[in-house]
Amino acid sequence: MSKKKINWPEQLNDLENKWKRALADYANLEKRIDNEKQSFVKYSNLKLLEKLLPILDDLEAAEKHLKDQGLILGVKKLREILKSEGVEEIKAQGEEFQPKAMEVIEMVEGPKNKVVEVSSKGYLIDDRILRVAKVKVGGGKIKEN
Amino acid sequence: MSKIIGIDLGTTNSCVAVMEAGKPKVIPSAEGRNIIPSVVEPVKNLVGEVAKRQIILNPENTISSVKRLMGRRFSDAEVKKSQKMVAYKIKEGKDGMAVIEVGNKTYTPQEISAKILGKCKADAEAFLGEKVEQAVITVPAYFDDAQRQATKQAGEIAGLKVERIINEPTAAALAYGLEKKKGETIAVYDLGGGTFDISILEIGDGVFEVKATNGDTHLGGDDFDERVVDWIADEFKKDQGVDLRQDKQALQRIRDAAEKAKIELSSTSETEINQPYITQGKGGQPLHLTMKISRAKLEQLVGDLIEKTMEPVKLCLKDAKIKVADVEQIIFVGGMTRMPKVYETVKSFFGKEPNRSVNPDEVVAVGAAIQGGVLGGEVKDVLLLDVTPLTLGIETLGSVRTPLIDRNTTVPASKSQIFSTAADNQTQVEINVLQGERPMAADNKSLGRFILDGIPSSPRGIPQIEVIFDIDANGILTVKAKDKATNKEQMITIKGAVGLSDEEIKQAQAEAEKYAEEDKTKKELVEARNQADNLVFTAEKTLKDAGDKVKPEDKEKVESEVKNVKEVLAKEGATKEEIQQVADKLSEEIQKVGAAMYQTQQKAGDQPPEGEPQKEETAKDKSSSDKTSKDKDKVEEGEVVE
Repeated sequence: MSKKKINWPEQLNDLENKWKRALADYANLEKRIDNEKQSFVKYSNLKLLEKLLPILDDLEAAEKHLKDQGLILGVKKLREILKSEGVEEIKAQGEEFQPKAMEVIEMVEGPKNKVVEVSSKGYLIDDRILRVAKVKVGGGKIKEN
Repeated sequence: MSKIIGIDLGTTNSCVAVMEAGKPKVIPSAEGRNIIPSVVEPVKNLVGEVAKRQIILNPENTISSVKRLMGRRFSDAEVKKSQKMVAYKIKEGKDGMAVIEVGNKTYTPQEISAKILGKCKADAEAFLGEKVEQAVITVPAYFDDAQRQATKQAGEIAGLKVERIINEPTAAALAYGLEKKKGETIAVYDLGGGTFDISILEIGDGVFEVKATNGDTHLGGDDFDERVVDWIADEFKKDQGVDLRQDKQALQRIRDAAEKAKIELSSTSETEINQPYITQGKGGQPLHLTMKISRAKLEQLVGDLIEKTMEPVKLCLKDAKIKVADVEQIIFVGGMTRMPKVYETVKSFFGKEPNRSVNPDEVVAVGAAIQGGVLGGEVKDVLLLDVTPLTLGIETLGSVRTPLIDRNTTVPASKSQIFSTAADNQTQVEINVLQGERPMAADNKSLGRFILDGIPSSPRGIPQIEVIFDIDANGILTVKAKDKATNKEQMITIKGAVGLSDEEIKQAQAEAEKYAEEDKTKKELVEARNQADNLVFTAEKTLKDAGDKVKPEDKEKVESEVKNVKEVLAKEGATKEEIQQVADKLSEEIQKVGAAMYQTQQKAGDQPPEGEPQKEETAKDKSSSDKTSKDKDKVEEGEVVE
């Protein structure tokens, strides 16, 4: 520290500012930790659930193809477990395209802006998006019969 | 006082960070990710992730890579090149500048960038819970004045006062804390999603000078992904005769799988791509995509792309008139630098290990936030809370180190613990203050010792000695010992318990690791000794208290076992097993005595008190080193736009 004359009012002002800033940072941190704690409890399974979704996709594809009764029951069970954890499928088929919950992978013939085909299902957990649905959306040209 | 946020406004992705309590923090977007895709749909006002999801449906109205148009004329070659890559329409606007036409409306690149900056601002406000009105925005080092002005205008349209426009490589250097360097030459290697930049910077007294910059505006991670996708599709076609690229749904799945594989191969040497029911064969039978890809294969697929980055590096060095050997540090920016092959290639070219300790996706935003902190007066003279670099404790019975304050504790901190005496009628204890990670006292550094005397004579384990460790914000450690019975106290003040050089800390930690096994054995031996010693004391006391209530033959047995234990303890080099063996026998005999006494319905003697004994030691002085305070130098940016 240099022996320069200290400008007390300035020093006081500076320290007060720093103190206020530290208090504010702390108060904000407290708030955030509170929020994070709550969402941690609520969403701690999120990562695991997200990882399970591709497996459900594969099983559903197999189910559709094999039509095996045992497999159908197994997939049903997995769906029920996901449901009991609050995981819900995003309704997409035939709906208006919603970029908040869906991603277009291809534009196809069909009613404009309507989901013609769901390529990979999307899921919500308590109204929060777990995975967006990948969809094919109609480009407006209605298929001729 | 509102905060100044730092924004990395990128070609492919953008990122926001802010200083909080003296540390940079990356702000997650409303969608929960740390980066925001630089994609905008201005009609429905969609920005980021949401805009990106509808790009296929709405390509003419969805604007990506707008950064390539910032501050450029319509006649610019780069604009011409961009037009070939994007579906939206680029036109000539006022003063011959490039503008974008969506629907019947034209937008300047500034207006589109402003939407991205506006989202950055909104996400930051949601995160901080307060209004944000000021920002530091980064631009490539090669941006000319018009491009910098355009970036500044974009910020203003978004309602942000742009406090400073700084160069991306400068921001990266700031994030690495290089502003303190004097006269150092560094190379910033930035391989992002769509562009490659190399810059040579010279840092002196907080001023960054960009000596030269070069790059490839159309080379990045997306090209790498494309190679992997092509390989997967080719292999599948060879095996199954079906071209997955013709099926948009399958293509989407292999794109995702290729990116995942690329990322996984940065940490493993082989990964499996596993996509069942990817498509159907000619006969309608389902086809599955299963293949393995090794890191070597990936490197072979993209090797030429990595090599392609080295040409601009050479040119950049040439322009800067700097020899390869004169580059003192190489820092990495951009997600692609996580790839081991990139690291190897750059390392072998420069003959030095590139620095990649800061998250390469976030490093530029972090640097911008630090600059924001400096401008807002938050970083300069910031109160840096120190941590204790090593564990602090005292020496206890058997020369064992008992920790009081663990290493990495943020100071100021305080901790107290009750100890007792190790021998009967012990009237003084010596407190030996230790610093280090080793379990045995002698292997740690003694910071100082003092004696607390005047403890009233009493059996061992009875006195209560409170030992208090207190470190203040300046790293000054005060150790106090207080006898609870008499309130008599003694203390010592030690400076430099916090300040240690990095070498000292590293050495202490390395030693602790190196001797971990040996130390554990030693400590266990001491513990076994202490236990056996305690047992002898208890046994003798039991016999004494019980008097003639104990059968003479039982008493004899106990006495002989006590003798055995004492002999073993007296023996130099007695092992833990030997001690435990005799101690177990003694324990058995005493239990028999106790049981016998209960059986004869006679009252047993009082249980001896238990306590953590304190060992007596000799005094020795120890000097202490001074804490060095780190003042953050004022940071100044070489190029400023007013």
